[in-house]
Amino acid sequence: MLAQILTALLAIVIAVGFSLLYFAGTNWILDKSLADRVNPDGTEVVRAKQRESIRPWLFIFPALLLLTVYLIYPVVETLRLSLYDGAGSAFVGLANYAWAFQDAEYLQAVGNNLLWLAIVPAASCGFGLAVAVLADRVSWGVIAKTFIFLPMAISFVGASVIWKFVYDYRGPDADQIGILNALVTTLGAEPQAWVTLPFWNNFFLMVILIWIQTPFAMVIFSAALRGIPEETLEAARIEGANEFQVFFRIMLPQIMSTVVVVWTTITIIVLKIFDIVLAMTNGQWDTEVLANLMFDWMFRGGGDFGRGSTVALTIMIAVIPIMIWNIRRFQKEEGMR
Amino acid sequence: MAMVAGGAKAKLGRFAAHAALATLVLIWTIPTLGLLVSSFRDKDQLIVSGWWSALSSSEQTAFGRTGTAADQVEQGGQFVIEGDFLGDGQPGAIATFGESQRNLEAFTAGETAALEDGTEFLLNEDGTYRWTSEQPFEHERGERIFFISEVPPIFTLANYVEVLTAEGIGQSFINTLTVAVPATIIPILTAAFAAYAFSWMQFRGRQILFVIVVGLLVVPLQMSLIPLLRMYNGIGEVFGADPKSYLGIWLAHTGFGLPLAIYLLRNYIGSLPRELMESAKVDGATHFDIFTRMVLPLSVPALASFAIFQFLWVWNDLLVALVFLGKRPDQIVLTSQLRELLGSRGDNWEILTSSAFVTIVVPICVFLALQRYFVRGLLGGSVKG
Amino acid sequence: MRTLTLPTMASVLALSVASGAAFAQSADDIVFPIGEDPRFNWESLDRFQEMDLSGEEVTVLGPWLGPDRDLVNSVLAVFEEATGADVVFAGSDSMEQQIVIDFQAGSPPNVTVFPQPGLAADLAAQGALSPLGDEMQEWVLENYAAGSSWVDLGTYPDENGDPQFFGFFYKVDLKSIVWYSPENLEDAGYDVPTTMEDLIAVSEDIAANGETPWCIGIASGDATGWPAPDWVEDIMLRTQPPEVYDAWTTNEIPFDDPRVVNAIEIFGSFAKNPDWVDGGVAAVGAIDFRDSPRGLFEVPPGCYFHRQASFITSFFPEGTELGVDADFFYFPPFEAEDLGNPVLGAGTLWAISNDSPGARALIDFLTTPLAAELWMAQSGHLSPHLGVNLDAYANDTLRRQGEILLAATTFRFDGSDLMPGAIGAGAFWTAMVDYVSGEEAADAAAGVQRAWQSLQ
Repeated sequence: MLAQILTALLAIVIAVGFSLLYFAGTNWILDKSLADRVNPDGTEVVRAKQRESIRPWLFIFPALLLLTVYLIYPVVETLRLSLYDGAGSAFVGLANYAWAFQDAEYLQAVGNNLLWLAIVPAASCGFGLAVAVLADRVSWGVIAKTFIFLPMAISFVGASVIWKFVYDYRGPDADQIGILNALVTTLGAEPQAWVTLPFWNNFFLMVILIWIQTPFAMVIFSAALRGIPEETLEAARIEGANEFQVFFRIMLPQIMSTVVVVWTTITIIVLKIFDIVLAMTNGQWDTEVLANLMFDWMFRGGGDFGRGSTVALTIMIAVIPIMIWNIRRFQKEEGMR
Repeated sequence: MAMVAGGAKAKLGRFAAHAALATLVLIWTIPTLGLLVSSFRDKDQLIVSGWWSALSSSEQTAFGRTGTAADQVEQGGQFVIEGDFLGDGQPGAIATFGESQRNLEAFTAGETAALEDGTEFLLNEDGTYRWTSEQPFEHERGERIFFISEVPPIFTLANYVEVLTAEGIGQSFINTLTVAVPATIIPILTAAFAAYAFSWMQFRGRQILFVIVVGLLVVPLQMSLIPLLRMYNGIGEVFGADPKSYLGIWLAHTGFGLPLAIYLLRNYIGSLPRELMESAKVDGATHFDIFTRMVLPLSVPALASFAIFQFLWVWNDLLVALVFLGKRPDQIVLTSQLRELLGSRGDNWEILTSSAFVTIVVPICVFLALQRYFVRGLLGGSVKG
Repeated sequence: MRTLTLPTMASVLALSVASGAAFAQSADDIVFPIGEDPRFNWESLDRFQEMDLSGEEVTVLGPWLGPDRDLVNSVLAVFEEATGADVVFAGSDSMEQQIVIDFQAGSPPNVTVFPQPGLAADLAAQGALSPLGDEMQEWVLENYAAGSSWVDLGTYPDENGDPQFFGFFYKVDLKSIVWYSPENLEDAGYDVPTTMEDLIAVSEDIAANGETPWCIGIASGDATGWPAPDWVEDIMLRTQPPEVYDAWTTNEIPFDDPRVVNAIEIFGSFAKNPDWVDGGVAAVGAIDFRDSPRGLFEVPPGCYFHRQASFITSFFPEGTELGVDADFFYFPPFEAEDLGNPVLGAGTLWAISNDSPGARALIDFLTTPLAAELWMAQSGHLSPHLGVNLDAYANDTLRRQGEILLAATTFRFDGSDLMPGAIGAGAFWTAMVDYVSGEEAADAAAGVQRAWQSLQ
């Protein structure tokens, strides 16, 4: 164990050292090889311009290289593989897409992903906003926010364990150790094996993601709400608006753009949801989602890269509108700068 | 009158706000609290009673096996077998007992029971028993006596000791650290230089390249898995090395984290005062000097917020680790180990809860200690454009 | 740039590899001191003691975790001790996925332990496995009871379509058995059922008395659902001749054939009967198979019967004495069907997925009687090896299972393991999960058939 800690430390030193060496070294080489010099005839050659046209590339080269290798090339390659057979060797045209659209499991995954998209961003934003607004009105708001904040640091797998324990099921004769079934039985109803109830179990899995994403929404909305001038709110109140009117007519419109950003961010996370489903049900009991289905096709029963890539591309296609919107928004803001 | 009504209404509103917030706080904390409490409970109690009743004693049903004919002694014409069902040091007190599993409350502890075969059986609260018979005992296998016992709450660190050693969580903890630290530092350095170039240097294609970075922010990393696996395979062959290495996963996390890193850092570095750069330039400083001597130190808050972000992301990642690291004991990370346990230890909640707590304790500490930076990073990433 | 990068890259790579080697956990402690226990064929070890494999690392990927991992490590430790090799065993309950990831990444373990021949066949067809050779095939034919069936189960077409012998069976499980507590059954006043009709009558009786006859749990993490196909297969063998069973596992008769649907429905008459299963029908899908026998040992008993393969004893509560606290009986045939005594079994298949002298030596070691005896003497391990000392079996229970294995009039391998991976380790499981959660048997079966067709 000590050896591994030392290795890790050494690796950090090497990684940092190598990065610094690269940046410092290439800059030094550039300065030396394109240094200003004095010709024999006494004229001075200033090559600052050449140097400065090369230097930016030295700065961004490692980043560009990594982005190309780890993100751009894979997108192109996945697109190509989706047109090939399972082994990635024979061209099959659109056969994988044809398969997808008549495969019950794929359609179920698309349906479930849509369900997640409809609910998780809305619920997370709703709860996040509720906490942000309520916490401003009570003296213990900061403490409340800290508590609600915590799940954000918990991994999806960790959260799955936590909630699996909440949903734990024992037969009706036994004492329940899952708190949800304990509540249900206290109220006189039959205990349920929550994650195995088709259709409804999707919601029980979604609760986990909402639980993790609400703090994120809360933090951002808190900051945005703080940006609303107090006078605006006071003016509305003096004119006789009640708190609900103040919220819906003044606050919400003011922070609408923030809501949209948070909504989109959570939407992307939902599209990629994988860990929770893998850990809770592995897609059984009709809870399949695209990312888990892709993982299954990639690595189950010998692996089928064609179908796996096709499923992955579905996620990519769903993300493209968001990507375009993101770029537009960015360009608009750059223009304003 | 209207004033009073308004006041009451406001009071009611305030009460509703308190109640609503309190409910939300409960929903957001109770699941984790349950995990924490359960991880310290005795495993036998954990499976029979809910964690919310951890402080009250629990009732357990069990059986004890008596001694055999070989253990009998003759005392005053009677044949006696004596023993102890609760063993030494085992906590708890026997409440009732019976000869049949269908009637565990037939006799109360301390009472001498007449068994069906005519023998007499005395079982005390502390588990000691005395079985007497007029005839010599002949059985070769002990009889079962069933009982209900009250066991006081037991809290223990044994679950943690077990998961940290036998279940491999300790080793995984180190593995995760080995992944997370370099995978946090490398992207920061790489991104900082790029962000500076995008902010303060002039070159062709600057805008379009940055737009690409913004586009890459949302690319699902699922896309990358298959192509990268194949590429690592090729590289591994060239160097004759294992394609599943820590270097491989550091670079993968670096690649996946770079768009956000560049984006966040450019926002920050780009907002540093222009005069600062220009006065430095007048003094003859090169971009490299400006970056290392001025920009880097000034950007520490932004670097810190990204570092926390990336650290948490890497620490909590499962998918990338599943694909780019093996499941060997010296490579398996915490999330992956925890998922294995979820699959292999099914209902062993004492193992699951304590393992889960080990995996979340570091991110929670990092998070609480550096909350301010983290929030700033979040805001920079999503609110500012 | 280039001159700078390559050496640094290489050194970091080397470093991370080295760190792996330095960290390789060696197998756990040896349980039986070498050469001591007279029940074991220690002379098997001689030729391995002459080998010097020190410094050689042999990586093994297998399905075992928890107690099973300790058991396999205790066998591997003897090999390590004799040869000096360093065996690193990695266990994963999702090894079906892990081996494919490892193979695609070009970093397969030296030796892979497959719980399913179907998956091994898939990988063999992709060139991922190295043939064990004719000599080994001969050896299995001569030294294993029913050797040819074991050879057939381990022979698949390679990437060129030529059949080769790839998989060596080490550790066989008997599936057609029902576990029970002899004392509880006796207290309740029943005898051990010897026909299926009997078993059903006893179950009805127990339920009528307000108790629960069966414990069934099919959850298993990623592999949730797998115990259910075992039931269906066992019932297939008890309602149809073996030829129909064979045709079913190769899809010559469709999965939604009425004969298959009938078998699924008979399984349902146990598992979907709320009065027959501990915790109710909902518990069948929710309870982990490793925890499902727990009801046998509860006070009062949660259930009386538990149908599961021989390996389940590893998951019985600590201190359970086999043959006394828990025992088994043969899952009986229908008297009315007159199909003899069919037996369903399974086994783990060891194959070389990354050839090395160490890997060859390890497989060679597993062919020795000693390797089988070391595990047999501890827990659920049956061996078809004719040369093993039967006295080495840890208890009579295991020995009797060995006898059932050898006395079967029909022996068939777990059918879901023979189906293509995507069916036998995927669609079939999911269908059974859906069936237990309420779907009709015919619909569930039709779903599997559709999935099978989409593969072809």
